[in-house]
Amino acid sequence: MNKTFQKILAKAKSENRSCFVAFVTGMDPDYESSKKILIELSKYCDCIEIGVSFNTSTSDSSIIMSANDRAIKSGAKTGKIFQLIKEVKSEVKSDTAFVTMGYLNQIHVYGIDNYINDCKKSGVDGCIVVDSNNEAPEDDQIFKGLTKNNMAYIKLIAPTNDDNYIKQSLKKSSSWLYIVSYAGVTGSKEVNLDNVKKLSKMIRKQSKIPIGVGFGIKNYDDVKKVSKLADLVVCGSSIVEKIKEGSQKGLTNQNLAQFVGEYVKTLSEGVKH
Amino acid sequence: MKIPPFKELNAPDSLGYWTNKKTGEKYGGQYISPLLIPNLKKVEVGFQKAMKNKKFLTNLEEQLVNHIGIVTPILRSKELEDIAGGEKKIGKIFLKRTDLHHDSSHKPVSAFSSVYFAKHILKAKKIITETGASMNARAVASACAKLGLECEVHIGAVDAEKVSLNKDITELYGAKIIECHDSTKTLLPAMAAALRSWQSDPSAMYVVGSCCGPHPYPLMVRTFASIIGRIAKKQMQELTGKLPSTVFAVCGGGSNLSAISYPYYNDKKVNIFGIESAGKGISSGAHAATITGKAPIGILLGARSNVLMNEDGQINESHTEASGLDFSGTGPEICYMASTGKIKFRATTDKEAQETFLMMCRKTGILPAIEACYVIHAALKEIKRRKNPRENHLIHLCGSGESNVGRMLKYKRDNE
Repeated sequence: MNKTFQKILAKAKSENRSCFVAFVTGMDPDYESSKKILIELSKYCDCIEIGVSFNTSTSDSSIIMSANDRAIKSGAKTGKIFQLIKEVKSEVKSDTAFVTMGYLNQIHVYGIDNYINDCKKSGVDGCIVVDSNNEAPEDDQIFKGLTKNNMAYIKLIAPTNDDNYIKQSLKKSSSWLYIVSYAGVTGSKEVNLDNVKKLSKMIRKQSKIPIGVGFGIKNYDDVKKVSKLADLVVCGSSIVEKIKEGSQKGLTNQNLAQFVGEYVKTLSEGVKH
Repeated sequence: MKIPPFKELNAPDSLGYWTNKKTGEKYGGQYISPLLIPNLKKVEVGFQKAMKNKKFLTNLEEQLVNHIGIVTPILRSKELEDIAGGEKKIGKIFLKRTDLHHDSSHKPVSAFSSVYFAKHILKAKKIITETGASMNARAVASACAKLGLECEVHIGAVDAEKVSLNKDITELYGAKIIECHDSTKTLLPAMAAALRSWQSDPSAMYVVGSCCGPHPYPLMVRTFASIIGRIAKKQMQELTGKLPSTVFAVCGGGSNLSAISYPYYNDKKVNIFGIESAGKGISSGAHAATITGKAPIGILLGARSNVLMNEDGQINESHTEASGLDFSGTGPEICYMASTGKIKFRATTDKEAQETFLMMCRKTGILPAIEACYVIHAALKEIKRRKNPRENHLIHLCGSGESNVGRMLKYKRDNE
């Protein structure tokens, strides 16, 4: 297991709570504001997923798609996201884990080995690659590269997946496994606890890996409910919406970071058991 | 007419890749969120079952013949021969009149087959699809109406504006039309929107409008569409007693190129040409010429193939007058065939296609789809260059131009 994840999971356990994970699109709405947001959120989050924008993503709702467009307009590129993470990490004193979340095309274009090297150099703790199929040759290369460099490879599992698919994914998962709570795109439905229970049971038959849950977790109560079932609770779309709301109010940099931070602070308090 | 049965000539591997043995490059595959993996597996298993099910294939063929009117004529075009220099200099030119299909394009063949497959093999009740020129939407909506399935169409807002006739017909067939306002508002984001919608509704079946998308879609679409080529190959044999020297088809995603050229993949003497839209010219950057424009390999909408994109992997917008060609990628099997050199590529500019449209109207009495004019222009150029009176040339006239009338009439009046 990646050392940062080891620390945050142990810490959460000792505090009788789950880990809180926030998702934001890197460089949304711009580089400096995003940097301030990430630093601010690290006060309340055990882990932050940073979206690497792709303008043709196939699994994101219009909320994330719009954030991707804003980030791309502000100059987001894979290399810039690494620079952002590196700068944030140098200023953050907590053990917050940083994970990149994106699509394979960017990684393919950047070069898989190059991507992994730059993850390592910038202090990334793990990666999620939404459309990297377990059986694709690129997926093996990513898994091996990340494992060799002690970074987590976080695989997604959906309610529609069977035992065999879970088994395949477990072989390539390290640090934690991400359960998608419903069949749909990010933030489009309510979190489905029955699916979570069913999938957790299927996973628990095969492995003791920590389980994270995301998709549809929009408020304090959702966080509270999911934290009883999961080791990590992921919130994305509602935080991204908050960034948009703050930007539309004309907030930037530290003001925007504080505006989003206050919201995330409340959400994160739901993880206490 | 007895239609020759389908034969697999270019199978991908079990993961859906076509691999170029010389370069090691892979085309195709299945790059998609885990949510869709079971859906794709269901389609893959169902498709294998369908291709072995004689009753299904016979009934489907009967419907394609009598409902779609798939046995369209091949017309020898003396007018085009004269324009290219005359039969004595360039040989004979034949047009495969796919424009005479029910719903006026090649699209109804794979669309109807896919919906028929969804109903009878997968037992689906709803179809999700996307569209560019609305030719696919119209074809899928028509099939859904006939076969009693619900139909949801995703269309880019820009395309919806461009081709309102087809969109209106789609609506009359009872489809629910969802305009997509993401990114470029064209076929590409519409396709991503359709895939996202499928994730939310796994009991539906997704029908793709071209031989693109994750495995098994590229394989399935070209297999269904290839009946056009199987019929054309037999007709050409009956008309000329031999194989054509050249086969020309336009290429956006690649379905109509696959449709006509697939049966010739193993015929070494047949020169296959795929024609792309050079838009305002390849050097301008405003085009849809993935292969001719030497686009790199990327991973787009579930498959590995040549993709128009920037240095950071963001997909570039394609530019063309033809909505049906307005796509930033090309199907993986076509990219593979281009990489082996079996399919050669050329590109025609929008201006050249528009002039060809007017020429076709005036000189041949045919109203072609603007998409077909890209291929006719490039074919005439290549035929003139070859200058061989012993050759027979087959051009895929892949659609009718009713939906282009408004824009083309304006073009004509503006340029007279």
